[in-house]
Amino acid sequence: MILNKLSLALAIAFFAVLSWGEPNTSVEDVAFSHASIGIEGGEIYPFGVLEDAVENTLYGGLNFRYAYWENVDGVVMFHYAYFKPVPEAVPYDGVHQAMGKVGMDVQLPWINFAKLGAGFACNWTRADLEDEDKNEIYAKPGGTLGDNETEFGWYARLNLNVLHYEKYKVGLNVMWEELWTLPERSDMLYVGLYVERSLW
Amino acid sequence: MKKFVGIPFLALSVLLGRAVASFAQIPAEMEGMEYETRADGTFLIGGPTFAFDRILGAGGVHSESELWTPAKLRDRLLFNRWSGTPSWTPFEPSVWMKTGNELGDLIYQDFVAEKNRPANRTPILEGGFRTPDYKGLWATARLFQDDHFCSGAYGYRYKAVDGDYSHFGANWPFFSSAYGGIGYTNSLVNASVLAGEEYLWFYTATSLWIPVHYKPRVEGRVDVMDLSLTVAYEDGEYQNMYKKETGTRKEVNGSVYYKCGKACQKGILQVSAGLAFRAVDDSGSVYTELEEDRVAWPFMELRVQPIQWVSADVTFGINERDWLVQDSLQFMPITPDDLGVTIGVKNISGTRMNPLADTKEFYGDRVVDLTADGQMNLIQGYLTFVDTMGYVAMGGRGSYWAEYGAETFEVEEYLSEKGDEKIHASIQTRYGNVGRINDWIKGVTGEFWLNAWYRDMFKFTAMAGFEHIDGPVENAEVTPAEFYTGFTGDWLLNGTFKISHSLRYRSDAQWNLRSRDPMVVKGDWTWDASFSQIFPKYGLTLTGTLLHVLADEVMETVNGGYDRIRFICTAKKTF
Repeated sequence: MILNKLSLALAIAFFAVLSWGEPNTSVEDVAFSHASIGIEGGEIYPFGVLEDAVENTLYGGLNFRYAYWENVDGVVMFHYAYFKPVPEAVPYDGVHQAMGKVGMDVQLPWINFAKLGAGFACNWTRADLEDEDKNEIYAKPGGTLGDNETEFGWYARLNLNVLHYEKYKVGLNVMWEELWTLPERSDMLYVGLYVERSLW
Repeated sequence: MKKFVGIPFLALSVLLGRAVASFAQIPAEMEGMEYETRADGTFLIGGPTFAFDRILGAGGVHSESELWTPAKLRDRLLFNRWSGTPSWTPFEPSVWMKTGNELGDLIYQDFVAEKNRPANRTPILEGGFRTPDYKGLWATARLFQDDHFCSGAYGYRYKAVDGDYSHFGANWPFFSSAYGGIGYTNSLVNASVLAGEEYLWFYTATSLWIPVHYKPRVEGRVDVMDLSLTVAYEDGEYQNMYKKETGTRKEVNGSVYYKCGKACQKGILQVSAGLAFRAVDDSGSVYTELEEDRVAWPFMELRVQPIQWVSADVTFGINERDWLVQDSLQFMPITPDDLGVTIGVKNISGTRMNPLADTKEFYGDRVVDLTADGQMNLIQGYLTFVDTMGYVAMGGRGSYWAEYGAETFEVEEYLSEKGDEKIHASIQTRYGNVGRINDWIKGVTGEFWLNAWYRDMFKFTAMAGFEHIDGPVENAEVTPAEFYTGFTGDWLLNGTFKISHSLRYRSDAQWNLRSRDPMVVKGDWTWDASFSQIFPKYGLTLTGTLLHVLADEVMETVNGGYDRIRFICTAKKTF
């Protein structure tokens, strides 16, 4: 439990340090001075106790990026995944998961194609079953997901820009996500390809 | 009068003899719940509609929400307490949304976790807008409910009412509100009328949670220059499904208030005055009673400042049942620049702390008298100082108080009420009457703090306080914490990213009278943190807030909910 609290504290401290940028008097003019929209798809790998809970799965969704400070972007992500349970005792085929993330990407000064990012994550889940069945399965493994369940957490990621052609960017995102679940935190690794188009 | 330009708000608060504003700029989960991030006292939360909120230096054994003051005229009266939650004060022109959750749901841990499975965690939800003015006219609508803490007496409450008892979801939150309305604003007038539907739970003197469903609740407000008028109509439906009882209360309440304005404040004698009122029409089982179905409370505030370094304040109200006086005398001697000293004495006397509250509660066939004979007297002397040195200020406040006749609850019998029998749920209740502690209770307090700041980029406060109480405090509802310490920090980076932290410790506190054995709320460290992206040019703010981190999950009141780690994110766009 102490480790969990410590990791939470470290995550927040990391987020705070990451958000430290160069002082800039015209910072208000930088915000939203450029923005882009993108699509992303990849695979999610559960870690720790979750390796026995769900299988690897694919994900996909939309990203929105906007200028925040000179070398810092704000990012908003909406992704979707369908998780299949590992234990056979779970009485349904899978779980719909919609994910929202808000955070920031900081340009690394010594590698111009790489950004380091962090932020908050919010995952909404619901088991893939008919509404009328949810009360019957409540006591079984996975029963709580018969109704909507939402959990928050944090993420840290490395954003690599491999190709840049006119308004388009293509690259790779490698992201670590930790949800503040109990009895243990839920950790997953995301690896995905993205295509991004500049809007203005 | 010396100039204290540049002294921050905290220091000014000290000069004005107020308690230290000890919270960082961490947004509360709902307006009126600012006590949840404060360090400087005993703040025990049962749920969004009930908290024991006592500032350490305030004196007396009561909590702040038990005491009527003119500043609470637009607060909500929840049974016998004044609450800023749920607030029907219209927001500034903007559109906003809020969502969050008590952290610690299972999600996929549910597939594999066999031990230490957590109880269900519950969310918070809000959305609303207020349009910009069009020729002074505007419209607003808001849905807001706080499902946090709803573990409190859950097994009793969800079977006590018919249906989900909320606008959204099935967590039986302590309140769920929705309203819409229109307003008119210009340089002289600010007026609004809102109508909506609300579900609420009151925590009563017998420790019962009583549900009320307002359909509708209508509130009108008019401010014309220094005059304020507030009128609310509430059509409340009561029910107890265990006993198959229902009842209704139609209530009109509000106030007329003239507040000493800018011109008036330049005078030696400053006068404000008003009238607060309630009138009810009960039928069926309502569980409380207001004597003669009405109460009117005329009051007056006087401030006299004959010379610049002496001021006297008196607030008093009186009607045929009760009287209440709150006064203070402050002396601010001339001192070297940057040093501020205030010596003061304050007094609270009256027959009732909250003269507008109901006078009886009904528990089955038993009648609980919510008024006590006689009067209470509280006197407190205090000295505060603050010394400012460039970007650093340090200060302190010491006080001595004595109270005789403090309001309390004289328990005759401890009882219990069964909830859902399938899960063996029950709540602890009590029977008795409101009475007085006819003895002196005395306390000595000391608080010290250090502020440091750099322009608007950085603010830091370290603070500590202690209180020693002598006398039969075990006869009061709560024995407050003996000491606290707190550290708050706010950073504003590039003027557009704000980080706020609050780390604090409170020693043990104890509920003495709500259960057979006193309930000790153990002392603990708590950390809150908030992060905001701010876009001033676009009026946009995105905020993520973590509350109650590091602390153990505990129940802080009898029949209350668990105080858990919770995360809340808000997005707001002002027009």
